[in-house]
Amino acid sequence: MHKFFSNRRLVIVIICLIVSFGLMSVSVAIRNKRSTPPMVQQFGNDVVGLVNRVVAWPVSGLKGSVTGFSDLMNTYQENQRLKSQVQELAQTKVHDQAISQENKKLKQELKLNHSLTDYTPVNANVIARTPSAWQNQVIIDKGSAAGIKKNMPVLSGSGIVGRISEVNRTNSKVELLSNSSESANRFAVTITNKNGQSVHGIISGYNRDKNLIEMGNVTSKTKIEKGDKVSTSGLGGVMPSGLFVGTVASTGTDNYGLAAKISIKPATDLSELNVVTVAVRQAQTTN
Amino acid sequence: MVRVTKLRYGFPIGLFLFFYLDGILGAAFPRQLFSEPYAMSSYLVVLWLVFAVFFEDQIQIPLGIWAAIAGGLFDVYYTGVWGIFIFVFPIVVALTRACYKAFPINFLSGLLVYFIDITVVCSLSYFGNLVVHMTSASFTDMMVDSLAPTLAYNLAAYVILYFPVQWLFNRLRN
Repeated sequence: MHKFFSNRRLVIVIICLIVSFGLMSVSVAIRNKRSTPPMVQQFGNDVVGLVNRVVAWPVSGLKGSVTGFSDLMNTYQENQRLKSQVQELAQTKVHDQAISQENKKLKQELKLNHSLTDYTPVNANVIARTPSAWQNQVIIDKGSAAGIKKNMPVLSGSGIVGRISEVNRTNSKVELLSNSSESANRFAVTITNKNGQSVHGIISGYNRDKNLIEMGNVTSKTKIEKGDKVSTSGLGGVMPSGLFVGTVASTGTDNYGLAAKISIKPATDLSELNVVTVAVRQAQTTN
Repeated sequence: MVRVTKLRYGFPIGLFLFFYLDGILGAAFPRQLFSEPYAMSSYLVVLWLVFAVFFEDQIQIPLGIWAAIAGGLFDVYYTGVWGIFIFVFPIVVALTRACYKAFPINFLSGLLVYFIDITVVCSLSYFGNLVVHMTSASFTDMMVDSLAPTLAYNLAAYVILYFPVQWLFNRLRN
């Protein structure tokens, strides 16, 4: 009888296994430590990304016509709803303008060039999504040529959706908040309650079943209520402060009953991303 | 050896087209494919490789090498982690070849073979991600949230594309 694992085959299988594990650990180490992938990988990604845009064009055209039709169907309802919001928005905008001018003058007097809230937006299109359940990752069509660096926050709609995990010359990968990896979504955030007191903390995970961001290990006694706004604090790294993350959905204690665990409803629907904005912080950064 | 047939150009073009479609479909229809907590991963590129095993007939395409190339690109471009799909895709091709030799392939038995293939791809990519700490999901989560929807999506793609691709391979061979 022919033995399935002949000596030669066994050796090949073992070598393949070793090479596979080696490649995986090296690439994860590079991903965690270095700001850009190796030259060869960058070049490969740029070439593949270029063709991707050509292939994506007819697909997005088809999708555009389908969604165009469904958008047309609910235009009336949307129009009614938006009309009521426009009035309010105009007022806020004028107020906002006055405040930002005042802020600019005060900064000049203090000789502050760029504070943590300043950022330049870089708009990018989503060209592909990783077909894997383990990496909630999208690929965008802007890279280091547009000034994007690793770990920069990515916004869509009204809030933050993730951060840059790999930068190539003309495209980059974005890890979404919903990623199940152990180190993907550790953002420094701050919650401000109705009395103006704030609690600092770090996002510690994502609840896949309920679609909520979790913030654990909160030991502060400040009262946090449902509906309080959560934004980035700008502490550590390249993140500007004041980017909207979401609103508090519920508070409770963690499994050991010691620290508080806060669930946050994300500001943007993470499953619908077409155009994203990368926030490039203007203030001096450490990396 | 691929003799001078249209398959020589047709096969790589199809492979790359399906490779790109995997990512583009995910980006174009995220709500349908990736509604939390379920995730349907599109593996059309695997479907193309499996169809090539079924329909290549006398013409021997070096499928193992093509599978490794497609897997390598999949690793670099989509996941950013080397060393998972570059080995998984050739394993799937070898598995399909073994099944092809063991019993006659038709529409239904092919469906079963593809069922096994997708299960292998899903499980191996899960274990790969688990050992490098790219995921913390449990095995049961993986079965319910990822494997089941992925199987449903990819088997539907098989049913839809079987006859068109068979026709295409017949055209390209002659």
